[in-house]
Amino acid sequence: MIWALAYVPVLAGLAIWAIGGTRARLATLGAGAAAATLGLALFSGDRTGRFVWSELLVLQAALPPLAHAAALLVPAILLPITLYAASHEDGRGLPRLIGLMLVFTGGMELVIVAADLVTLLIGWEIVGACSWALIGHKWRSQAPGLSASFAFVLTRAGDLGLFIALMATVTATGSASYGALGTLDGWPLSLAAYGLLLAAVSKAGQVPFAPWLFRAMDGPTSVSALLHSATMVAAGAYILARLHPQLSAAPGFGPAAMVIGLATAILGGVVALRQTHAKKLLAGSTSAQTGLMIATIGAGYPGVAVLHLIVHAASKGALFCAAGVAHRVTDTFDLRRMGLARALPVTTALTVIAALSLAAVPPLSGGWSKEEVVKALEHAGPIWAAAIIVAGGLSAAYATRFAIAAFGPGEDRDSTVKRGELAGLALLSGAVLALSALWWPPVHDVVAARIGADLPEGSRLGLLASLAAVAFGILAGLRAARSDTEAPAMEWLGLPALYEHGLIRPFHALAIMAARADDRVIDLIPRGAATVAIFLADGLSRADDDTLDGLAPGAAGAAMSTGGQIWRGAVGTAVRATSGLAALGAGLGERLSDLIPNGSGRIAGMAGADLRRLQTGLAHHYYSILVAGFALAVGLLIFGG
Amino acid sequence: MLTLAILIPLLASLVLAFVPLGEVASRWTATGAAALSLVALVIVWAGGGDGFRAVAEVPWIPTLGIAWRVGVDGMSLALALMSALIFVAATAWPLKLHDARAYYAWMAFLAGVSIGLFVTLDLIVFYVFFDLSLVGMYFLIGRWGHGDAQHAALKFFVYTLAGSLLILIGIIVLALNMPTLTFDMRAMIDSPPLAAAGMVPGLVFLAFVIGFGIKTPVFPVHTWLPPAHVNAPGPASAILAGVLLKMGTYGLIRIPLQMMPDTFARWALPLAIVGVISILWGSIVAFAQDNLKRRIAYTSVNHMGYTVLGIAVAGSALGSETARQLAMTGAVVEMIAHGLITGALFLIAGAVWQRTGDYHLPNFGGLAGPAPRLTGAATLAAFASLGLPGLAGFVAELHIFLGAFGVYPWLAAIGLLGILITAALFLRMLRQMFFGDLPKERAGFTDLDRTETALLAGVLILVVLIGIWPTWLLSLIDAASLIPTPGAGG
Repeated sequence: MIWALAYVPVLAGLAIWAIGGTRARLATLGAGAAAATLGLALFSGDRTGRFVWSELLVLQAALPPLAHAAALLVPAILLPITLYAASHEDGRGLPRLIGLMLVFTGGMELVIVAADLVTLLIGWEIVGACSWALIGHKWRSQAPGLSASFAFVLTRAGDLGLFIALMATVTATGSASYGALGTLDGWPLSLAAYGLLLAAVSKAGQVPFAPWLFRAMDGPTSVSALLHSATMVAAGAYILARLHPQLSAAPGFGPAAMVIGLATAILGGVVALRQTHAKKLLAGSTSAQTGLMIATIGAGYPGVAVLHLIVHAASKGALFCAAGVAHRVTDTFDLRRMGLARALPVTTALTVIAALSLAAVPPLSGGWSKEEVVKALEHAGPIWAAAIIVAGGLSAAYATRFAIAAFGPGEDRDSTVKRGELAGLALLSGAVLALSALWWPPVHDVVAARIGADLPEGSRLGLLASLAAVAFGILAGLRAARSDTEAPAMEWLGLPALYEHGLIRPFHALAIMAARADDRVIDLIPRGAATVAIFLADGLSRADDDTLDGLAPGAAGAAMSTGGQIWRGAVGTAVRATSGLAALGAGLGERLSDLIPNGSGRIAGMAGADLRRLQTGLAHHYYSILVAGFALAVGLLIFGG
Repeated sequence: MLTLAILIPLLASLVLAFVPLGEVASRWTATGAAALSLVALVIVWAGGGDGFRAVAEVPWIPTLGIAWRVGVDGMSLALALMSALIFVAATAWPLKLHDARAYYAWMAFLAGVSIGLFVTLDLIVFYVFFDLSLVGMYFLIGRWGHGDAQHAALKFFVYTLAGSLLILIGIIVLALNMPTLTFDMRAMIDSPPLAAAGMVPGLVFLAFVIGFGIKTPVFPVHTWLPPAHVNAPGPASAILAGVLLKMGTYGLIRIPLQMMPDTFARWALPLAIVGVISILWGSIVAFAQDNLKRRIAYTSVNHMGYTVLGIAVAGSALGSETARQLAMTGAVVEMIAHGLITGALFLIAGAVWQRTGDYHLPNFGGLAGPAPRLTGAATLAAFASLGLPGLAGFVAELHIFLGAFGVYPWLAAIGLLGILITAALFLRMLRQMFFGDLPKERAGFTDLDRTETALLAGVLILVVLIGIWPTWLLSLIDAASLIPTPGAGG
């Protein structure tokens, strides 16, 4: 049952991809699959699962309250986005898009139900691979493919941290379960904690991994809506919240998470505020908001982080859908050329709800969860609290700027919003409104108890400062929306350029150098060996010649003692001895050779083992050998007899 | 039964050599022979059992302790099954050929000797099969290859032959050091010769490592591999990568690790370092290749690096028993996974060559449009090769790294970079081949036909099955039984 939460959407997604069909059918099938997953999630609470994967590794699944909340969130967000995608996106490849979004959701559910690090790693990387396929969905153009690779490789670099955590846990305890993770101490705990932090930070688009979120904007808008709200980025924040009890004991873990989270919240806020590209503004905002969640976890309130995750998912999903509609109507993502309040009044109203929630304006849900975040960080210390108040002001500013620039007053165009788009947007903005009930104490107490979250107590001063920052932010945002700002010269504060020049290009150069070295240097081993072999062979054959020729008359006597060499030595000696004679007696030789049959002469020569010399075709040598042989035979007959 | 699995393809090869069959009949004769071998091996598998099973022995040269001995344990059975499967796919792969009958005769011959190598239990027979496999592959590359095929084939042959001579010397020294002269592998595994420390065992170990290292191949003796792959026909490449490379790592486990465990343990660290260098070097060099086949070929160096790392860890006699068992499991699964995955990748490369006569990646692009099935198969195989969970490569690499971390944590951490670089290089390959604009000269590109699709699907389904539910394979391999108890021979 609990595994079904992961494989049902995967199988449904593959089936939808295979079946295909009209927009209406895809919307029905996709939304139906999402609803089915939601139903499964509803009834899977507190279940566990085991799957013997290998002799030494058992996959485990569990759904404690915190995970249950996340497991419900994902299909709940997927459903409206599926409706939106089925009507908004390009018809070509739509079955693949809807199908892969379901597979993506299945991977995310696996991350959520995982109760051991191997299961987590499996889900984690499947989510990464799906994000590759979804970002590169429009494969006919160059840019999406490049961006998809960039995103996958950068997030996989973080995945290595998960590998490290897993290896440290298994080595120290012999098990990969979350329970075993909780029993670690010393350096294995530090490795596991920081490895997981690295993995989470890269998925969550934190500094310094944030640029992949910008590149992910080359994917379809529906993908961004899903990826930034309930999957992928959310996976990073979720896993730190889920494993906070096990990891928080690692030395320096909390402060490290807060530093990364708050740095990203502030830098991401600045980046978002300066953006003129609608989706990139929202992407910067996602980094920043996820930074808030990670900082809250670092401060010791994982439950609050998950509540903020849920609230943020609804508003961010809605805002991406709105950006997509604006793009379809205006054919640009440039915020300076939108202004759709008159053209699309309903869409505008729905967008403003989501934007105000993102800006953390009471009484919307985003305001509540952000105040809880501020209170959590107040507990960590005044400096952390100050940082989060600044970050809150920035979110108010960019959210306002987005709403006013994109859906502010502008010309009246003849444009409509499609039914599916409106349905998706309305459901998500409706969720933002519904979640605003969290302001009411009985509701948030029940919810907090249900998911096991501790709600922090805060000071009045903190609340006032935070609200003041939001108010300032809104004013700044209004101002920024009206002024015609230039697009920033450097994306993400120059981080992508740093990757390009500091990492990617040097690696390309290194690889090309290595390939050259492989062809020219490493390949010298066999070539060198071959050269040595040829040299040796050559030397041996020369030595052979020399020995043969060098059998001087004096040495001949000594050589006579052994059988094999007698003949050879004799021939050599005879050759030398008769060379002068041969020159004189070539004519004689000619006559002699008439007497001795050619064949027998050859046989005699072969017996002399100097085939090579015989075959050189030097007639006088040949004959001189015959002469010598004849003379020798005569001599032997005379003296031997 | 195992003898049958060897003889059927060899007989088919004889038939093909002397009976004038047509091209189609030749292909089906060779494929049928490989399939029958596969069936014979599956029957052995179904028979179950522990340790060496399906053992048969016929005396050959009793005075020298040489006999026709066959028998399999989990590792060799798994490898033989995988080899037979790759042979079925590679032989049945549709190909336009000259002298088709001779080609399929060599294919069947190679199938017989390759399966023979994995199932024999006699070191001399092992050596003979090891060399015969070179002969078969030499002719396949030299006669049916393209480009500078003659030169590549000769380089492959001479390089690997040099290695195999070292292996022969090692085998003879091992046999001479047995209490009674024998080449029976079981006897040597049960009472390992040359257990003492010293020069001779070290040199014998070195001879084996160099010999098998060339075949595997590991850095720095791998440079015969890329030209051999580039110039070989696609199915021959699939066999070279899928089956022949495994002979090196199989030999490394069977002979040095199992027959001289103490010496192996002494030299495990340098071997592990060689493995890690191969992981990194193979992936970095592969990244820079613009030739499709060279890129895949270098990833073989990378993947075999993982295997060597796993083998070194398993034989290190360090760390916990669990860690060594994990590493051994990973190493053997990597052999199977790499055989299936890289076999599939080379078949895909062969399909591309059949259609375009080109391997230069920048000349491609946008093939996802005209060839969605090819794209799907290539994407799946590429992700499997870069170690995506849910596919076979991940099972192998996860086990290897988990094991390696328990013994040599730094090497495992450095080796992890390999999976990042392979991700980059395979995604780059997919993008260059399938995405972006379709160049004009590729306009008429056709998708995989029915036979090709079916064969690739057969191989890739196994890749997915192993990835999702590896237990059946792991219990067949039974890695724990492969690792000698330290000091058993001492």
